[in-house]
Amino acid sequence: MREYSLDDEVDFLIIGTGAGGGTLAGRLAEMGFSVVALDAGAYFRPLDDFASDETEQEKLYWNDRRIVDGGTPLQMGGKNSGKAVGGSMVHFAMVSLRFRPEWFRSRSVLGYGADWPLDWREMWRYYREAELALAISGPVTYPWGPKRPRYPYRAHEINSAGRLLALGAEALGYQWTETPLATVSAPRGKSPPCVYRGFCRFGCSTNAKQSTLNTWIPRALAAGAEIRDLAMAGRIEVKGDRATGVHFHREGAWHFQRARNVVVAGYAVETPRLLLNSATSRHPHGLANRSGLVGKYFMTQSNQAVFGRMRDEVRWYKGPPSFTITEHWNYDDRKDFFGGYCWMAQGPLPIEWGFIQTGARGLWGEALRQDMLNYNHQVGLKMVGETLPDAANTVTLADEVDQYGLRIPRITFSWGENDRKLIGHAISEMTRSLEAIGAEDIFPQREDANHLAGTARMGFTPEDSVVDADCRSWDIPNLWVCDGSVFPTTGGVNPSLTIQAIALRTADRIKAMAGRGEL
Amino acid sequence: MPRISRAAPETQPAVQAAKRLNRGSAMLAASVLADSAMEHYRGGFYNPAMVTPILTSIAALSTSLHGHNDDRQRRHRQRDRLFGLTAATGIAGIGFHLYNTLKKPGGLSWQNLFYSGPIGAPAAILLSGLFGLLAERVRDTPPGETPRIFGLNAGRVTSLVTSVGLFATSGEAGLLHFRGAFQNPAMFLPVTLPPVAGALMGKATFGNSRKERRFTRFWLRLTALLGIAGSGFHIYGVSRAMGGWHNWRQNMVDGPPIPAPPSFTGLAMAGLAALALLRAHPED
Repeated sequence: MREYSLDDEVDFLIIGTGAGGGTLAGRLAEMGFSVVALDAGAYFRPLDDFASDETEQEKLYWNDRRIVDGGTPLQMGGKNSGKAVGGSMVHFAMVSLRFRPEWFRSRSVLGYGADWPLDWREMWRYYREAELALAISGPVTYPWGPKRPRYPYRAHEINSAGRLLALGAEALGYQWTETPLATVSAPRGKSPPCVYRGFCRFGCSTNAKQSTLNTWIPRALAAGAEIRDLAMAGRIEVKGDRATGVHFHREGAWHFQRARNVVVAGYAVETPRLLLNSATSRHPHGLANRSGLVGKYFMTQSNQAVFGRMRDEVRWYKGPPSFTITEHWNYDDRKDFFGGYCWMAQGPLPIEWGFIQTGARGLWGEALRQDMLNYNHQVGLKMVGETLPDAANTVTLADEVDQYGLRIPRITFSWGENDRKLIGHAISEMTRSLEAIGAEDIFPQREDANHLAGTARMGFTPEDSVVDADCRSWDIPNLWVCDGSVFPTTGGVNPSLTIQAIALRTADRIKAMAGRGEL
Repeated sequence: MPRISRAAPETQPAVQAAKRLNRGSAMLAASVLADSAMEHYRGGFYNPAMVTPILTSIAALSTSLHGHNDDRQRRHRQRDRLFGLTAATGIAGIGFHLYNTLKKPGGLSWQNLFYSGPIGAPAAILLSGLFGLLAERVRDTPPGETPRIFGLNAGRVTSLVTSVGLFATSGEAGLLHFRGAFQNPAMFLPVTLPPVAGALMGKATFGNSRKERRFTRFWLRLTALLGIAGSGFHIYGVSRAMGGWHNWRQNMVDGPPIPAPPSFTGLAMAGLAALALLRAHPED
């Protein structure tokens, strides 16, 4: 790995190496820019460092102190976080979906949320690039939305849980398909085909999963980028309206890395936190915050579920948890609320299942023990639903400080009325699907959320957004934000592919601007 | 390149041709035996009927070898019956696999075609049986007469069966290699070489029977070689699965099937027999 000295003024200093930062680091390095990418987490080697153990793998989460409040405080630190080189994609469920084209113009076409300054046709091209880079294994033809090219790898053989979703969907008259997944169904380079170990959401120990960690990061390294792990960014230094570098904490001390451009890619909590923590007298409300929108419109996605029990064995833990999907309600607008959702087959591992049994169902003691014996017969459907952007949902700074002496984020969130309607609709639809296949003891998991978004939204003017379509901040021209924070709306599908597509587009735009001397 | 040894000079051309067909059918049966044993073991013999192809292919293999060691110029009734049974098993197998594919959610979908019992696999044992049946009929020809099947020139009939078999087997390889996303360029070989051989055999079926067809024979030998090389490629393919050959007990079962490609070798051998038969008994 090439290493830069702190005095080297690198072209791009990227904070965070997940779907946004990792992808951007890879592409910018390949374009010939000098790149240093910081990550607060460790650089894990899956073959050596990952265990088949839910608890051990919590080392992939961002479990630093945060304050959560609001009407429905979010549980932070699990699946909605990541602290490792590769970011949360190291433990993502590999679900790689494209947005419905209309979502890029939610406000003008569908009547809610905000429009994106991006055109879906352009995004379609970058989705393709991301799908090729991750060799997505998906269905030969995808049943929803405009025609898309064939996925690079074929869909995996679906497991019983996936088949039960299909049977339910067919009974309801909905289309279903194999979920496009970022785990290879045939060899690819050093990646062996997936062996359906089922620990995907706790880090893939075989490298069959195509995450940032084993796709974009190696490409970045090969092109001369430096990945600096265990480096916590604390403050972006600005001189006037130009960023000059980043103060980061590594090996027990603070350092300063000089840079011509700074990209913040810390996801929807750490990105606004860093921008707010970097306030100066000239930028008293935080960097890139003239609009006052940094930390506003914080979103998550509804992740409620319905579970039941089958007479036959299901063994839902076998393989990736989400083999099949129905996006029916993302594309059908005959409903009395805004936004859409999809649902996917499920396969929680035993500890997670225990949490659901105690939390959502309230089982305890002998009743819990008895019911856990049904593990191999359980079946479930879990939604990924759109949450509407609401200025009242925010990430702000608390007065408390963390282990680095940095003010910790306060995450304020409440489901809105529309969100509740959408969730209610999904729970009743998923319940119908389980009833149709003869599941027994059906119960809903009414509170769960996952992916984050918003807090540094992209838009059309300096007044309506934090960054422009190129992820460049309106206020500080050499400060960029490239992660899920830039989403004006969040859509009803998992966001990682969209984040990567945005990063790919940003890289192309940066190259074009550099060529014209506009950086 | 498999060298097809010539029978003793005193042996009748019809018997020679029958013996060559027996070798082709033996090769197919051996491929099916190893392949179905492994695949059905993988399926845990979930249905007791899954043992059938193993028994049938053992029968077809030994019957073919028996035929290969038999210089008599007449049909062997027991052998004929066994070949008939083999072919019938192949047809039943196709039916079974088709039924299992269609009953899954999604019906006739790529998912089900990729991952259910492959429809093309039982076709290989059907072909083995067919070549055995053809061998018995070819053998049963008085000296000086042209072997005939249902009144048709046996050379042409065998050519036709070979041609169809090559296309079908190539289709099967194509389906499964499509499932593997043609991730290695060598995966294109079985969907390019054998169809050419199939087309050439189609030409031989309906063309001038007096032509020497050196190019066709060359191409058949190439296809025979591909069948053997294919096993080599699949051995390499197994090494690319998680754990490689250290984890052979899992990867041989889940990886690319090592015994499957020699089906092409068996078909090419039958094709060469058909051409020899045509040359020995030309017709206008």
